[in-house]
Amino acid sequence: MTSEASDEDLMLRYGKGDARAFEALYRRHRLPLYRFLLRQVGNAATAEELFQDLWMRVVNSRGRYEVRAKFTSWIYAIAHNRLMDFYRADGRASFLSHEESESVLEDTPAAEISADLRLDRKRAVERLLAALGELPGAQREAFLLQQEGELSVEEIAAATGVSRETAKSRLRYAVAKLRASLGKES
Amino acid sequence: MIEQRDEELSRIYRDAEGPRPPQRVDDNILAASQRVAGLARRPGGIGFARRWGVPVALAATVLVTSTLALMVYERQSGLDAIAPQVPRAGRPAKVSPAGPKRADPPAVLPPIAPAPPIPPDAMRRDQPQQYPVETGASSGGLGTGRPAFVPEVPRTAEVLRQREEAKPAPVAPAPAANIRAGTIPPQPPVPDAQRAFDVQPPIRPVQAPAAAPEASPRPDSRMRIQSAISGSTGIRATELSANPTATERTPEKWLEDIRKLRLEGKMAEADRELAEFKKRYPDFRLPEDLP
Repeated sequence: MTSEASDEDLMLRYGKGDARAFEALYRRHRLPLYRFLLRQVGNAATAEELFQDLWMRVVNSRGRYEVRAKFTSWIYAIAHNRLMDFYRADGRASFLSHEESESVLEDTPAAEISADLRLDRKRAVERLLAALGELPGAQREAFLLQQEGELSVEEIAAATGVSRETAKSRLRYAVAKLRASLGKES
Repeated sequence: MIEQRDEELSRIYRDAEGPRPPQRVDDNILAASQRVAGLARRPGGIGFARRWGVPVALAATVLVTSTLALMVYERQSGLDAIAPQVPRAGRPAKVSPAGPKRADPPAVLPPIAPAPPIPPDAMRRDQPQQYPVETGASSGGLGTGRPAFVPEVPRTAEVLRQREEAKPAPVAPAPAANIRAGTIPPQPPVPDAQRAFDVQPPIRPVQAPAAAPEASPRPDSRMRIQSAISGSTGIRATELSANPTATERTPEKWLEDIRKLRLEGKMAEADRELAEFKKRYPDFRLPEDLP
């Protein structure tokens, strides 16, 4: 019964004191959120701290939660804000500050993934993760929000506080770079 | 087109072995969520009870303890106060007009207040006036035409008034002491109005206070009390008559009194008490300071 309920319904029930609703919600989103944070910060200890803090914010805002958007949009927006706080405190305030140049925002054709990498999945994963780590933070975030949070471009824009076009450009750039990394012959 | 997920890229990405948060992080988060949910669900009454339960329980404990301690203290001090009031041989007993104000009334109050003797003329006047009467109280014989049960008490207001006038002081320490000693079973106090209509035995009760001889018209009442007591305890009445304090005092208390008398310089009285003590307790080993 609880597993069939929507995220929003579970969160509302938790706001009324149903601890099991929160548990279901947590089980449903813990892995994508943790991966999102870990791949953003690249450090397990920091990711755990951010992850715990993120869920504490969810817990503490249980009484104020209103269904204005998808729960995933809301919680990834919290994660984004928490990441921003972390970057500012860590002296990386320029992390997301328009590091994409105008040229970056130009349309970049996506490269073809090489045929041998399609067969060698393990090697493809390694290359993809390596390329993901080299992406600019904003582009990586857009890609991760799409992959882990299953957010649309509009939702990514809402979660990160940018325009739809900016979110779209970041996502497009990230995908092109990742495909290019997979298309290269090592 | 680019807005749509790149399925091939997504598939490769999902093949990556996903890291998982540690179990302790899961436990921390879930425990915190349950704590908060429990607080949210708890009604205000329970919160109030949890907040004030311990202080109220402590206050109640202190109150009950102090009350009990006060009661025990009062009872002990009351016993100490009553013991000196027990009349000694040759001394008139004192009558407390106010009566004891203690938390244990059955142990102090006389079981039945002694009734004064009925004047013979009143008895004579009442006897021929015992007509068959049917009263509301005699419901058993209601409407049967049979005479209702009427206690043999004088019904005239005159006799009642005389009784009230002749009624001795309500408190007599000696019977109370006997009650505590277990020689006479305690009885609940009876209100005066009810007492006036109670069936009285032809002989006055043995509870006539020995401590109020001036209120008792019969000089042998004390002897009869002692006879009643000795009948149950096996103590000779002469011994009790010689020293009524023997029924209340322990040997140690008695010796202590003798010591006090000596200290006060009442040597003759002390010697007499000592002689009575030796007579009463011939096998008791006397201390060295009381040869």
